[in-house]
Amino acid sequence: MAGGTMIGVTIPEIDESKCTACGDCVELCPASAVDLVNGKAAIVRPEDCDYCTDCEVFCSAGAISCPFDIILVKDRPAEQR
Amino acid sequence: MSSRLDFIRSLPYFAGLSDETAGRIEEQIRELSFAKGETLLLEGEPCRGLYVVKTGRVRIFKSSLEGREQVLLIAGPKSTFNDVPVFDGGPNPASGSALEPTTVYVIPREAMLSLVADCPAAMNIIRLFAARLRHLTMLVEDLSFRSVVSRLAKALLDLAVATESQAPVPRLTQDEMAAMIGTVRDVISRALKALEKEGAIKIEGRRILVVDPDKLRKMV
Ligand code: SF4
Ligand code: SF4
Repeated sequence: MAGGTMIGVTIPEIDESKCTACGDCVELCPASAVDLVNGKAAIVRPEDCDYCTDCEVFCSAGAISCPFDIILVKDRPAEQR
Repeated sequence: MSSRLDFIRSLPYFAGLSDETAGRIEEQIRELSFAKGETLLLEGEPCRGLYVVKTGRVRIFKSSLEGREQVLLIAGPKSTFNDVPVFDGGPNPASGSALEPTTVYVIPREAMLSLVADCPAAMNIIRLFAARLRHLTMLVEDLSFRSVVSRLAKALLDLAVATESQAPVPRLTQDEMAAMIGTVRDVISRALKALEKEGAIKIEGRRILVVDPDKLRKMV
């Protein structure tokens, strides 16, 4: 994944203090990247997470967030225009 | 008088109907019950009739090409929905699912049309108005989406920071972007895809890369 060398694997942020262990994210993650570990949600297969951000929507406790860095790319080659 | 007849007559559509006509409508009503989460009707399918919520609540929504749902309204007791296709003959404009255990009355299209059957002029006017309403609704959806795309383009231009610059790179969730430009997350997600399709931005993992600021500027 692009940027992986700089910021590591891209995964959602989970606020364990808000997680109620309802398991919705575990059940609904299309990549099966989430599981409950010691009663809290955790991204147990980070390499499978494609940052679809679905879990952020599913989590009714507001424990998951999927922020984006907004980056201006200067002089990027026009290869994908 | 049956309570169902009373209920029907209390709806704006059927106010002032004679006992006979109201009775005729009532005979044709189908009463359907749905469990929480069950689908009542599907967008794009042929219209079965006018829906009236007897008890419960129904979520009316449209699905985007990516499968995301946009909620149009929550219909509670005595609310009607699926009105437009009843009168213009087109497919259901949106889907509906039960938010809680729900009972609805479905009044078949033919029963509704029979109310104006002996007045071809009224029939023509209603059909025309319904078709216009469908068209205008689509236009409003399209315009409001385009205005979100434009506001998002402006916000991204204002926010984006080059990684080599001193300033910290802004980090926002789609909810935060939505709050910033006055829309909802669902629409932001569609707008981001639209900007990516235009080649103005690229989404790579958790990074939104502004690859063609000129394109963004043109969309503002
Ligand atoms: S959906 Fe939210 S509250 Fe439920 S287990 Fe996942 S993180 Fe925890
Ligand atoms: S972002 Fe998508 S793939 Fe990653 S953990 Fe959440 S739901 Fe699963």
